[in-house]
Parts: sequence; structure tokens; C-alpha cells
Amino acid sequence: MQRIGRKTSGKIEFGMFTLPVLICIVLAFYIPFFMSMYYSLTDWNGISRSVNFIGMDNFRQIFSGDANFSSASWFTVKFSILFIVLSNVLAIVIAVLLDQKLKTSSLLRAAFFIPYILSLVIVGFIWKFIFSQGFASLADTTGWPIWGWSWLGTPKLAFVSVLLVSVWQSIGFYIVIYLAGLQSVPSDLLEAAKVDGAGAFRRFFSVVLPMLAPSVTIAVFMSLTNSIKVFDVILSLTGGGPGGSTYSVSFDIYRETFQNNLFGYGTAKALVLFVVVLIITVLQLTYFKRKEVEQ
Amino acid sequence: MAGNKTARAALEIVMIAVALLFLYPIILVFYNSFKSFGEVMRDVIALPHQWTFANYSYVWKYIDYPKLFVNNVVITALGLAGIILISSVAAYKLARTKSKFSALLYMLVIIPMLIPFQSIMVTVLKLAQNLHLAGSVWGLGLQYWGLGAPMAVFIYHGFVKGVPKELDESGMIDGATGFSLFFRIVFPLLKPVTATIAVIDVMWIWNDFLLPLLMVNGSPDTKTLTLAAYSFVGQYNTDWQYTMTAVVMAVLPSIVVFILLQKHIVKGVTAGAVKG
Repeated sequence: MQRIGRKTSGKIEFGMFTLPVLICIVLAFYIPFFMSMYYSLTDWNGISRSVNFIGMDNFRQIFSGDANFSSASWFTVKFSILFIVLSNVLAIVIAVLLDQKLKTSSLLRAAFFIPYILSLVIVGFIWKFIFSQGFASLADTTGWPIWGWSWLGTPKLAFVSVLLVSVWQSIGFYIVIYLAGLQSVPSDLLEAAKVDGAGAFRRFFSVVLPMLAPSVTIAVFMSLTNSIKVFDVILSLTGGGPGGSTYSVSFDIYRETFQNNLFGYGTAKALVLFVVVLIITVLQLTYFKRKEVEQ
Repeated sequence: MAGNKTARAALEIVMIAVALLFLYPIILVFYNSFKSFGEVMRDVIALPHQWTFANYSYVWKYIDYPKLFVNNVVITALGLAGIILISSVAAYKLARTKSKFSALLYMLVIIPMLIPFQSIMVTVLKLAQNLHLAGSVWGLGLQYWGLGAPMAVFIYHGFVKGVPKELDESGMIDGATGFSLFFRIVFPLLKPVTATIAVIDVMWIWNDFLLPLLMVNGSPDTKTLTLAAYSFVGQYNTDWQYTMTAVVMAVLPSIVVFILLQKHIVKGVTAGAVKG
């Protein structure tokens, strides 16, 4: 009798501890997610009461005749690849240099970290000012043509600008991850390599880089998940322009839904994004799991 | 050896120069906010001839800065407190209960980490409107509970597994049970990981843009710092002396806090990334 009582009270306690989180998560994710699945099959415009069920039409249209979506996808793929490569390579280089026991190492680390604490929208505005006003002044004083280029006004350069600003904002985060990873490289191993006559580059590629593998895993994973969702910087820096050349997938979804009032169509696109992110994440996790097992 | 030392000194100087160049855009924006419109137009690079605070008093009044600041604090504090509270108790219970049901619930709780916010934002807004959570600062703060919980539970769960069970049991002997056991004995032990979660979530909520844009952009009374700067810049466009002042006012709290808590913030972010 007492045993049953304890069992029930244990269950009540389990419920009291876990129910708040469950309710919040169901409200924040699961219900919206299933609502999205429903609305993606409709032509709902977000305001009207009439919601017509149109089956797979939205998805058919996304994959057959939506030039905006395909160009936004292409932009996001290019952006993600270049962002991952650039931010990780640069972060490793800077982390290795900061790890040379400089007197100002921790101060420098903080300096590189500062943009990461700023809101991305604001970062976009800071650079809009630099690209338009700052570069104009530099062009006047130096006379170099590079400052006179239209960094936000031509499609190719606007892409480069969005990329550079994104790397600038988040590189501090990756530097910090790599600095933490570098602490696990045993110094006697480096000494031994030095005694064996390995130069600085050889030491880096044969000793340091393999030891950094776990940090690379984390940093690549984070940079991929962040870059695939790029939105804020574009909104404030280029607004998607010039001529729609810097629309990312997130931006395209946002525009379709809230500016064109195609809620049903926008949610369908959003679900496509979800499936792609899910596939990439699962592939990445299984790949890294296998690698960990091998080691 | 001497050569080594000079090389290191040279590297140090180069790195300081690189860091200064790296931060130059922020420095530039900062001192341009003290110029008049004419001076900004004449030369952006030069320091102000005459430092003026006129831009600040104008923008301060126009966007009602104290109000925005309070909004940001309320949203962030409410969001963070809720995330910490509901996630820590749930993660503790889920980690301590060894059953299939508990493992299943844990999966249900952390799976949403895979859902990008953009892919559900439309219906999040619709649901929030139905629940009357849209359009108010408190409603927005509450929404972060669910959105932030999966990652917080994930990090807490991993940490609780490392806390010896004997500690709970010694608490039980003292007669503490349920929530009082958790908050008196276990929660204090989770302090380092609570700090990590706090750093990550404060940075996220304080700077968040898309969710506030959807939820509280309708009225000037409910705007956040970033939102206000966003609409201000949209309105004043090329009045750079004003827009850059709004930018400085929006980022200044973050920078001041960062300078004060630099070590903890960097440590928290690293720990969060390595564990997450």
C-alpha cells in the first residue's frame, strides 16, 4: 500500500518537474510545426478567413517555376560554403598566432570577439556606413580605385560584402573555439617535432591540425547551421539588393510571407528549408559519429 | 633566443595593428556620432573638429531610449529566468529517471534544436496572436521559454549526469524532497553550467531581431533597442550623424557589459559550444 503511494507520488513529481518544459516546447515548436504542415497545403494569405486546400500545388510550384527560390538557394549554398571555409581558415590562423604566448593575447582575443556580441542587424548598418561613406572618404584621400567600387550596388560585390561582414561579425567566436582546442595540444609533442627538425609549417600541419580535429568538427558544424539561416545582415546591409541578387532562402521566405502575403506558399518554402537543414544535420552527425568511433 | 624574442615582439605589434584595423569600423562609427551632418559629409575618416552631443540628445528623445532599455531588460530577464527554471528542473528529473518513457521525453525535448526558427516563424506568429502573446513585451519574454528550452535542457542534462547521485540522497535524509531538494542541494551544484547557459541566452535574447520584429514591432512602446535602431535607420536613411548615433546607443550596453565580464562571457560561449 505504502509502496503504491510512493510510486504515484514519484509520478506526480516527475510530472511537476517535466510538464512546464513540455508545455512550453509543444507550444513553441510542435504546434507551429504541424500548423505549418497544414498551411503549406493551402493558399492562405495570412489575413483572410478562407483557407483553401490545394494539395501539393505549393511544393510543385517551388520546384518547377520559382526563379526566386532557386536563385535564393544558389545564393545560400555559395554563401555557406565560402563562409565556412573563410571563417574557419582565418580563425585557425589567428588562433595559432594568438597562441604564441603574446603579452596581449587575452586582450587581442577580446578585441576579435567584440563584433560577435553585437546584433547582426546593427552590424549590417555599421558596414553600410563604412561601405558608402567610409569608402568614399578613403577614395578621396588615397585615390585608390578599390574604395570607389560600388560595394553594395553591384551583384558580385554585394555578395562579397555580405560574406565579409558575416565573417567579420562571427570570426571571434570561432577563434575562441580554436584557442580552446589549441590548449589540448601537448607542448612536449611540439618540442619533439621541433627537435626532429620540423619547421613551423610542418609542425602546424602534422601535429597541431590533427589535434585540432574536434574543434574543427564543432566549428564547421556551427558555421554551417548559422550560415544556412543567414538573414539579419542581409536585411540591413543590402536589403536583398541590388536587383534581388542577395536574397537568401530565409530572406525569400520572409519576403514571400510577410511582404507578398503568401502565407501558405511561404510556409511550404519554410518546410523545404527545414527538410534540407535536417538532412544536412543528420548527415553531419552520422559522419562525425563514425569518425569518432574510428578514433 | 634573442632572435626569437624580436620575432615575438614583431608578431605582437602586427597582431595589435590587425586587431585595431579589425575594430576600426566600430571606432569610426563611434566618433562620427559626435559630428554634425556637414562634418560627416565632408570627411568621415577625420576626428570631429567639434565634439557635439546634439545627436545624442535628439535620438535619445526621439526613440525614447530609457523605455527601450527597460523593454530589453524585461524581455531578456523574463526569458532567461524562465528558461533556467523550467529547463534545470526538467533536465534533472529526466537525467535521474532511468526509464524508456523518460528517454523518449528527453528526445522530444531536444529534437526541436534541429528546427530552424525561420521554418516555423509564420505559424509561431499566428499561434502567438491566438494566445495573445503577440504585441506585448511580457508575451515576447514568455515565448523564449519554449524556444530556448531544448538547448538548455540538453546542456543541463549532460551536466547532471556528472553530479553524483549520493548528493541527492544525502539531501533526502535531511528530509528535503521534490523542489526543495532540487533548489537547496542540486541547483547550487549546477552553477557553472547555469552561467554558461545564461551567457549564451542573454546574448541571444538581447540581440534577437526576427522574433521581436514579428511580435512587438507594431507599437513604439513595445520595441526593443535593435528594433528601434532598425526603424530609426529606415526613417532617417542617410542622416548618418543620427543613424550612427542610434547604432552606438543600441550597441553600447552590450559593449560595456562585455568589457566588464569579458572573461566570463568568452568562457561561457566556449563551454556552450564545446558541450552543445
